[in-house]
Amino acid sequence: MSLYEAIQEVRSIYPEDSESAVLPALRLAQEEHGWLSPEVIREVADALEVTPAFVKSIASYYDQFHLAPVGEHLVEVCTNVSCAVVGAQQVVEAFEGGLGCHAGETSADGKVTLRTVECLGGCGWATIVAIDSHYRTHVKASDVPAIVEELTGGD
Amino acid sequence: MPKLTIDGKEVEVAPGTNLIEAARQAGSEVPHYCYHPGLSIAGQCRLCMVDIEKNPRPQIGCNTQAADGMVVHTQTERVLETRKSIMEFHLVNHPLDCPVCDQAGECWLQIYYMRHGLYDPRMVDEKVHKPKAVPLGPHVILDAERCILCSRCVRFCDEVTATGELGIFNRGDHSEIGLFPGKTLENKYSGNVIDICPVGALTDREFRFQVRVWYLDTARSVCNGCARGCNIEVHNNRRRLHHNQGRRIARIKPRHNPDVNRWWICDEGRYGFRWIDDDRRLLTPVRRASGKDVPLGWDEAVADLVAALRRYRPEEIGILASPQMSNEDLFALQRIAGHLGIRAVDHRVPPRVAGDEDEILIRADKNPNRRGAELIGLTQGETAAILDGARQRRIKLLWIFQHDLLDSGLPAADVSAALAAAEMVVFQGPSANGTSAGAHLVLPSAAYVEREGTFTNFQGRVQRFRTAVEPLGDAVADWDILGRLGRALGGGDPALAATRAEQVFTALAGHVPAFAGMTYRAIGDAGLVAKA
Amino acid sequence: MATEVEKIVFAGADDRDLTKLAEYEAVGGYEALAKARAMAPQDVTEELITSELRGRGGAFFPTGRKWSFVPSKDQIPKPHYLVVNADESEPGSFKDNEIISRVPHRFIEGCLITAHAIDSKHVFVYIRGEYSGPYEILVNALEEIPKDVLGGVTIVVHRGAGAYICGEETGLLSSLEGKKGWPKIKPPFPAIKGAFGQPTIVNNVETIAAVPHIINRGAAWFAGLGTKTQGGTRLYSVSGHVVKPGVVEAPVSVTLRSLIYDHCGGIPDGRRLKAVVPGGSSAPILTADEIDVSMDADGLKAAGTMIGSAGVIVMDETVSIPEALMVVARFYAHESCGQCTPCRESTGWIYKMSHRIVEGKGRKEDLDTILDVAKRGAGTTICAFYDGAVGPYVSYIEKFREEFEALIPRDA
Repeated sequence: MSLYEAIQEVRSIYPEDSESAVLPALRLAQEEHGWLSPEVIREVADALEVTPAFVKSIASYYDQFHLAPVGEHLVEVCTNVSCAVVGAQQVVEAFEGGLGCHAGETSADGKVTLRTVECLGGCGWATIVAIDSHYRTHVKASDVPAIVEELTGGD
Repeated sequence: MPKLTIDGKEVEVAPGTNLIEAARQAGSEVPHYCYHPGLSIAGQCRLCMVDIEKNPRPQIGCNTQAADGMVVHTQTERVLETRKSIMEFHLVNHPLDCPVCDQAGECWLQIYYMRHGLYDPRMVDEKVHKPKAVPLGPHVILDAERCILCSRCVRFCDEVTATGELGIFNRGDHSEIGLFPGKTLENKYSGNVIDICPVGALTDREFRFQVRVWYLDTARSVCNGCARGCNIEVHNNRRRLHHNQGRRIARIKPRHNPDVNRWWICDEGRYGFRWIDDDRRLLTPVRRASGKDVPLGWDEAVADLVAALRRYRPEEIGILASPQMSNEDLFALQRIAGHLGIRAVDHRVPPRVAGDEDEILIRADKNPNRRGAELIGLTQGETAAILDGARQRRIKLLWIFQHDLLDSGLPAADVSAALAAAEMVVFQGPSANGTSAGAHLVLPSAAYVEREGTFTNFQGRVQRFRTAVEPLGDAVADWDILGRLGRALGGGDPALAATRAEQVFTALAGHVPAFAGMTYRAIGDAGLVAKA
Repeated sequence: MATEVEKIVFAGADDRDLTKLAEYEAVGGYEALAKARAMAPQDVTEELITSELRGRGGAFFPTGRKWSFVPSKDQIPKPHYLVVNADESEPGSFKDNEIISRVPHRFIEGCLITAHAIDSKHVFVYIRGEYSGPYEILVNALEEIPKDVLGGVTIVVHRGAGAYICGEETGLLSSLEGKKGWPKIKPPFPAIKGAFGQPTIVNNVETIAAVPHIINRGAAWFAGLGTKTQGGTRLYSVSGHVVKPGVVEAPVSVTLRSLIYDHCGGIPDGRRLKAVVPGGSSAPILTADEIDVSMDADGLKAAGTMIGSAGVIVMDETVSIPEALMVVARFYAHESCGQCTPCRESTGWIYKMSHRIVEGKGRKEDLDTILDVAKRGAGTTICAFYDGAVGPYVSYIEKFREEFEALIPRDA
């Protein structure tokens, strides 16, 4: 099924004349293309029959939508209070060291984009690291090298 | 009708009136940014707070409807402190651009800060930086740092033009107005966002850096771009002629009229004033003979015209009036034609290209006073027949007002033949064109901003336009030229003895049933609808 | 002494895998639904009112009373919507994550009973985008449910995409409608004009998950478990410096001290308690001397704070409160939707000031500026997000002022 068709199917779930499908449509588009370039945003806008400015205003509002290219894997470290008080900053620094890039950037080999994020809702299992949207719990700085190896294939 | 008390004053308002409007009716100003009566309610700026008895906290006025028995206070200590706080929040990231910002002098951050702020600033951290001087379209330029995110512009493009070009991107204090990459703000009403932007975030590209607003004078007028007759203000610069490149008319702004154009004007009308100060303006009467152009004084010019009109029999004279002329001009012309027994009179010249029209304001007829010409009755003859008559030398004198017949929907060859065949062509209008170039006698009319008068729009609404600037050179209003002609011809018609436009209008109202009973005073700023 | 309480939300979940329909039915699953459907909708609402169940999302509004606001179809002939707020993003709160992950069928049953009570055939579950795991479990559970159990009710699971403000009731509705997650000005109120302009009830996941037991065991029983103003039990998300962090189902009047020391094993490594955030990051902080407070709403209110989403964040003596404020201020600045001026500008400004203080570049006016800016903005915004931010801004500085002042250079 093409992205256009998938989006039409999603539209049918919601009330007619609503724009609710824009969130699932952007998610589908991002899964297919990796990130939301202006061309992809235009494609989504056409499929939804709305203006590209509208779709961009939605895409740029939410944290999970990437308006710039990202690496093969996305590593998101929670740095909010509950994780911060049990060493989240050290986890971030361990990733920065292991990947050779700062939080907010992608590693040179294009394999991993590292980000710090706000509360992921796993506070009791801190520090939470979301890897490609799935949570790893109780992550300590000492666990990071193994994770880096797993994601980069040991480079 | 709810009756409520605002700052101790009792007012009765229409159901559904919000507290900003109710307060206005009671004589109290409630400062606001995001509220605009022509757009949906946003409730975002938080400046329009008022105290309502029985409410523990101040409430926003824009989203609160006046209710019977409500007691509202707009000047309590709490409201004043809240306003001060809200002003501080608005200015936290605002750049100190006043010295280079066009909005200075009419900026609502400046105005409200002086009225409601006046606190000591305490923000010492780096402000959020955003793109500056970004052209959005042919007429509008954006400075995203200055933007206070009131969202009026976004709502205008969504709700009024339904074109949706603008969006607010990102979140929090990184929120930013913008276009989708590769798109432009080129709907036909784009200039209106400049008016409704309370600050210098959206400014006019043509007006940019031309002249400071405090040097401008204003006159209430009516746009001459189409048959809608949008109400306007003509902003003119007469005090600093070394600014605005010497042009007198600086800009045109819409004037609110709920029955005609509400708060808006199209871009064609807004930017269609360059011709008033350009070098095609006719400055003196000219007689063209043996290939030479002889400038004349008015007495000589009128004498030439009198001689011409007496030289030919009435049926040898054809008049092409213009629906660009005011009611007064057209009535004076009607009187002259009547006195001289000239029947071949018409105002209808088809345009070269059919005009565009929409459901918002724009009318296909690009003339402000077609209806006036119809009501006053300048249609005894017929344009094609008149030109035909000229070609066949039955009509020997062609008196053409404003039209460029060579740039119209009439076949150019026919027009050229008619103009060449006529013994005498008289052209009367404000600007030179292809037709005036070949005329034997050219009479300069004042532009509509250089005199006063009335136009009748397509709905039959008679509206006043007022003098903004002095006429250029020796140009004079058409009714005045015709008056001088009338007096020279003799007869004592009061319409032709007028020294002021209003006197011509009084005569018009006395003669043409559709205008019966109208006076300039009664027309006022809102206009009056002619009887069918 | 740990006060034991019969589990309501997680009943049976320790012994069985209640993500499976068969397992859930074995412990009486979906019987409450059958019982509710045999009752008139108004009667179901009455039961909820009697039960004294209060919203568990943070606003604490009486649930039954909220349901009663929905106009009858005679008054407004439009379809009603139930929208469930599963956007849990309040720092310190992870109970809804647990509920959906461990007892999705109980949650679904609660949704269907609620839909019946408010005469709705349309349920939207707005789940935060980051909860991929719980989302998959919920979708699988929905696929197991037979058509006759659904009874003509459609349940749409709508994933968010990363914005805390979409957990605010009307921010959620805006996002669900496909707009930016901007909270709406009120009036109109959601019960009258909510999602897509129709009458809508928005309830939190934990609130919904308590509903089946209320119908099964009776409202009076449920009310009796709690205090005069709040029925049932409560899920406390306990995190930070405790030996056994996690979701604790406890009586509503458990003390904070008991939660920390009896239920969660106290502070690890013998360190001293310094401060506790009792109700998610928006709740004003409590010092170590203030933990003998009952965790019901009245007790916390009297202590100058609030129950909120019952996210308990425990901080020991190693925590720098100025750094904690910076982290929290960064959160509010990042999550501000940007719609209204006081919040949009102040959250960014206060974060910059708090960051500067932590870096040792604070000025002596900064603390009072933060306090003044916070207090001036409170109550002026479209939604309560900024008021939530004011909780930590003011309480951290007022209760730990010396610690902040110690970071400000003497000659500043």
